[in-house]
Formats: sequence, C-alpha cells, structure tokens
Amino acid sequence: MENSQYKLCAEVLKRLDSSGVLKHLVLVGSWCIPFYREYFKDVEYVTSITTRDIDLFVPLPLGIKNKIDIEELLDGLGFVVDFKGSEGYISLNHPELILEFLVTERGAGLNKPYKLGQLGINAQPLRFLNLLTKKLINVKIKGIRINLPHPALFALHKIIVSDRRRKGDKKSKDLDAAIRVMRALIDKGEVDKLKFFFMGFTLKLRKKIINILKDNDQLDLAESFV
Amino acid sequence: MKGVIKGALSEELNNSLRMKRRYAQELSKLAKWCLVRKKIKGHYYYYFAQRRNGKVLYRYQGRLLPIEVKKQKTLQAKRASYRESLRKLDRQVKFLRSALRGKQPV
Repeated sequence: MENSQYKLCAEVLKRLDSSGVLKHLVLVGSWCIPFYREYFKDVEYVTSITTRDIDLFVPLPLGIKNKIDIEELLDGLGFVVDFKGSEGYISLNHPELILEFLVTERGAGLNKPYKLGQLGINAQPLRFLNLLTKKLINVKIKGIRINLPHPALFALHKIIVSDRRRKGDKKSKDLDAAIRVMRALIDKGEVDKLKFFFMGFTLKLRKKIINILKDNDQLDLAESFV
Repeated sequence: MKGVIKGALSEELNNSLRMKRRYAQELSKLAKWCLVRKKIKGHYYYYFAQRRNGKVLYRYQGRLLPIEVKKQKTLQAKRASYRESLRKLDRQVKFLRSALRGKQPV
C-alpha cells in the first residue's frame, strides 16, 4: 500500500472515529485484505491486489442520533462528491481513495440508492452483506479501532458474490481473495470456525459455495467443510 | 478475458478518468482570482490577482474583514488542492494507459 494512500485512509478513519460514526460502520470489500494482516500475524499471509475504493457497510437501523455530514467531516482533505451510475450512488473521490457506502438489499430490491439522512449521503443496496456482520473482529489501524467482518465470513461471502459477477476478471479477483483468506485460516488452525459459519448459511448457499470451489479446482477447500 | 491485474488496472483507469472530469468541473466552479495583500502607507489593502495573457491583473478589494480573508484563503487552498489532484490523476492515467498497452492477459 502506498504511504500517502495509507496516511489518507488513516486520516479519514480518524475523522470518522472522532465524530462517533466509525463504531457504527463495518469496513468490507478488498481493503479488508491488507487489514487482516494483524489477525494473521502468526501465519504466512500474502495479500492480493486491492483497488482504491473503500467500501463501508452501514448496518441498519443506524444507531446515530444526531446528524453528521460526512462530506463536511472530510472537508479539507480534497475529496469531491460524485454520483455513480444511472441510479446516482454517492461516492467520495480522491486520487488516492474512493469512499463508498453500502447497505443490505432486502426483499425484491430497491434498484435505487438508500438515503442515509443522518450522514447526509446515500448508500448502495447490495445482496448478502448481512452475512458479513454475523461476527465482527476489531483491528487497530494507527491507533483507531475499526470493525471488519470475521475473515471466515469475508471469504465465504466473496465466494458467493463471485458467482454474481458479470466480469470474469472481477470473479477471479474475488475467488483469489477468498482462497487466500481461507488458506490462511486453515494455517491458523481455524477450520472449525470456517465450518461453523458455513453451517450457519442456508442449504442453497452452502451448496453454491461447494460447487464454486469444486469448479475452480479447490477440492481440498471444498472438502474441508465436510 | 482480462487477467486479475489488468482488470484491476482497467477499473482504476476508468475511476481516474471519471475523477478527472469531476475535479475539472469543481475547479471550473471556483474563482480564478487569488487574494493578494499590499501594504500601502502602513495600511493593508487586498486585491484579487489573476494572470491573463502573460500579464498580472489586479482588482482592488479594499480593506477586508479577517473572516472574508479567511474565506478567500480557504477557497484558494481548495483550488490548489484540486489542481494538485488533477496533476496526480494525469500521472495516474498516463501510467495506467501504458501499463494496459500490452496484449497478453495478466
């Protein structure tokens, strides 16, 4: 990770933390991979490629009472607000970082941004994000505690969403990240945790995970759930 | 199909191009003048300065309240930060385009 990028990320997290927002958010997406280093410090763990977009998951209902304007909070850091896609999802852009906010998509799906009035932004609803919050871990980045999904849930979620990717390279990237994290968990002796979270999923999702692993020549990983 | 690395680089190139457009839009909204302070006979007077056709033009603003000076300085800093961001993005686009030029999937 570039030093300036890491510094900016730490500053963003610091501001979110001091305003009391960070404890309500969960960092998901590819930025979890470098942040899991602390969790896997006693085993061999090689991080995979990460893009500059930081995805922050907002579990609902949001427990923030007073209004905090995220755009105002990051003022002076050089971020510009952009509206992505035809639906207009807000992303905060900087040459080093892109901040995006996500919520869980429920029911038939919204197909439009979910308004988060307390934070002055909107969030993109996505499927299966609720799976990530079944168990959270806390890691310290430059003295700031951030919530991350448990690596086992992160890996299982990545496998599930890889199947929904339309672009082949994104699919491979998701699978690569999931496999790296799963192997690190096995090396750490946490196969039982992997199995435990796996068993908490629906039968349909469990079958899907096994099939994806088998289709991608990861028979040993697929068998670790049996 | 693109490889994982090329896919990520291609995504980043699109992000950089999109961001460049946004920064240029934001920059165009900000005034092109910068605030200059001159000391004349022991008093401070403010001017908006702008370079046009190689010449520096001054527009007299008179004495300004500290709050107004602070506001102008903040806008100036914002403009400088956006221009720096645009320079960074130009470098990124150049790098990413050259990295993606190769034909083989990586």
